Amino acid sequence: MTQQQPENNNEKLRVGVYVCHCGTNIAGVIDPKEVVEFAKGLPDVVHSAETLYACADSGQNQIKEDIKKHNLNRVIVSACSVRMHEATFRGAVSEAGLNPFLMEMANIREQCTWAHGHDREGALEKAKDLTASAVAKSRFLTSLDMIEVPVTQKAMVIGAGVAGISAALDLADQGIQTILVEKEPTIGGVMAQLNKTFPTMDCSI
Amino acid sequence: MVDAARHPRIDVRTFTEVEKVEGFVGNFKVTLREKAKYVIADRCNGCGDCARVCPIEVPNYFDMNLAPRKAAYVPMSQSVPLVYNIDLDACIHCYKCVDACGALEAIDFSQEDQLVEEDIGAMIVATGFSHFDPSVMDEYGYSRYPNVITSMEMERLNNSAGPTAGNLIRPSDNKNPQKLAFINCVGSRDKRYNPSCSNFCCMYSIKNAILLKQMNPNVDITIYYIDIRTPSKGYEEFYDRAREMGIHFSQGRPSLITEDPETHNLFVHSEDVTLGKVMEKEYDMVMLNQAAVPQPDQNHMSSVLNVAQSPGGWFMEYHPKLRPMDSPTDGVFFAGACQGPKDIPSSVAQGSAASSRASRILQSDHWEIEPTVAVVFPERCSATTRGRACGICAKACPYGAINIFSPETPAEVVTAKCHGCGACVAECPEDAITQLHFTDAQILAQMRAVLADKPEEKILAFRCHWCSYGGADLAGTSHFEYSANERGLRVMCSARMDTDFIYEAYRLGAGSVLYSGCHPQDCHYITGQLIGAKRASRLEKIFDKMGMTDGRFRVEWISAAEGDKYARVLNEMQAVLDDIPMEDLKAEIEKLKPEMSKRLKKFPGVPGVQEAMDYSDILVDAITKQKETA
Repeated sequence: MTQQQPENNNEKLRVGVYVCHCGTNIAGVIDPKEVVEFAKGLPDVVHSAETLYACADSGQNQIKEDIKKHNLNRVIVSACSVRMHEATFRGAVSEAGLNPFLMEMANIREQCTWAHGHDREGALEKAKDLTASAVAKSRFLTSLDMIEVPVTQKAMVIGAGVAGISAALDLADQGIQTILVEKEPTIGGVMAQLNKTFPTMDCSI
Repeated sequence: MVDAARHPRIDVRTFTEVEKVEGFVGNFKVTLREKAKYVIADRCNGCGDCARVCPIEVPNYFDMNLAPRKAAYVPMSQSVPLVYNIDLDACIHCYKCVDACGALEAIDFSQEDQLVEEDIGAMIVATGFSHFDPSVMDEYGYSRYPNVITSMEMERLNNSAGPTAGNLIRPSDNKNPQKLAFINCVGSRDKRYNPSCSNFCCMYSIKNAILLKQMNPNVDITIYYIDIRTPSKGYEEFYDRAREMGIHFSQGRPSLITEDPETHNLFVHSEDVTLGKVMEKEYDMVMLNQAAVPQPDQNHMSSVLNVAQSPGGWFMEYHPKLRPMDSPTDGVFFAGACQGPKDIPSSVAQGSAASSRASRILQSDHWEIEPTVAVVFPERCSATTRGRACGICAKACPYGAINIFSPETPAEVVTAKCHGCGACVAECPEDAITQLHFTDAQILAQMRAVLADKPEEKILAFRCHWCSYGGADLAGTSHFEYSANERGLRVMCSARMDTDFIYEAYRLGAGSVLYSGCHPQDCHYITGQLIGAKRASRLEKIFDKMGMTDGRFRVEWISAAEGDKYARVLNEMQAVLDDIPMEDLKAEIEKLKPEMSKRLKKFPGVPGVQEAMDYSDILVDAITKQKETA
């Protein structure tokens, strides 16, 4: 694999910013329009817009169309946690031909409106700052490719109670070699110790 | 059980424990300890002659220690595989079993534990749960009164394969009990022990009551409960059936059990809240429905498997709603009660779900991983500049992913081995390594943006991706409110939190800085947190010496399950700032700026940093202007 480099090729930046309402989850605490207007004044931002649900098809399509229409080469999504939707938006920009690592999120839901409902003004300031922070990072983002690793097509299930046995059987039925590990001398776990089981009163073994 | 053992693609390894897990998705190397059974599995035909002649009896865990087993044993007659074990702790080496085994020659006292390495693409963790020990609850007299037993003990007594062949007797006099009580929520929904609900006990006690009533319609059964929880399909109907059968239900957790020392009958004291009456009822036997608790070795397994634990000790899933079967480690999945108490239908469903999550990986020839790896600038490495590679990066790397072939050759990162924690990046004294997607320039630009306006009011919070960022998410999801002056920055691991970032934050005038990552045992990068923690404690000393107000630099380890802690820490940090008069705070910031600058002398020379500074000047202008117009 060729080593990827963190170089910036000094291309002319064209940043698009999307501020999500997330229904009332975000828009119930701050006015997303204010963040949109704020973002318009940031360097290299050529397009800034609200979106009702950025993660919905309509929201993703809006981003995809704008990438082409405005020739965007960076996308900022001010919405929820990266743990929630980073993969979604990476996929969306990638479908529009942009490298997925040129998309950056600002977490203005879990880490802003949901935590600062008591301080709307503070939440708005924070949403602006987090959006600016993402725009700032985007200036130095570079295209990256995912690293492909080989896969050993063998599974291990640790624990041979009812959940582990069920998992092992399903894996094995799909053609996957599976090692089922159990620390006790017999498989079966707690279920094997039970008499009959609810709600159908079958035998447990 | 038998299906699993018979399946041509399932290799069952009983009496085996996981010793070590290395590697990453698609490429795990798991070391198993196959404990010595002192019986050659291929030769044992399960005839049981060894057990018949064995003179030693010890309690059988499988029968909840109510019945003995021999030192040569299987836990139950339907054991899978049906291979006998010799319990060497109990064995007196009379070798009668060897004689009994005869020509089979299946017994081998020279066996030793074997360490076996296996290459694995994905793993499913299904290590289950354990039972709460009610003997710590003095009020119920378990282990003091012979006729107070646990439901699991009842389960064995009532089981045709159990020690009494299904004849339920009470321990004090071996008579069949006629008046029985079940007590639910023993050790669960109880703030002294486990605040959470154990999920299946309501249905479990109803099931046992129905079984007893079916065997003998004349027995009198009462179930003491706080609430009856029957949310799954067919469960409420099951509860109705129990009531129609004449099983009594009494709402209210009993406060005390007393015993008649003559008859060993028991008196359950409770307040029936539906009747508003304090009651004292006599029973022949009382069954305690113990809470489901994590396995005794759950903490140990959590470190071996490198997965975090939720409050209460259960394994923690990546996301409770959207990725309930995934651990935070790619390629490791959960099924069943190891993640929280679950009944049989849910455990089976989760087993299937986890297998489907795992097979996405296992059915592919390759898998994609994040390219957020370390990259060396060879021209900056001390091997190039001074002809002597310092080796600090290689020492810091938790994965041995950095090669230094000779003192004159610059460090090389083996990309496939690099997990992207950034420890080497922050540790390199020459700033000769960077991390893709988390470069110094990117992080500096972010810091400058959030500290553009009134930096003295801001709390800059560095969080690791896996834990503290997750903790901050959970604080929000739980709507735990904290100061809106917090400005978060995410890196993958606390090991990436470079001292330069912290000095720069104060140089830019930050009010406070939080340095937070996972707890040491939760670290996603083996020892990444230790490297971060060492650096943080060095910084604490430095700032203390500089005379910085206590609490303006704070180091906290916050897991993804500790949303409440994240909110609390931030509110405490806000309180620290609130306590300093603004003029004093500003004066302190100004006073310390030269100290910070002094320590940042080399920072502008780091690749990309000068560019980030130039850009940030423009950005900060824009931000300030925008905020003024607003």
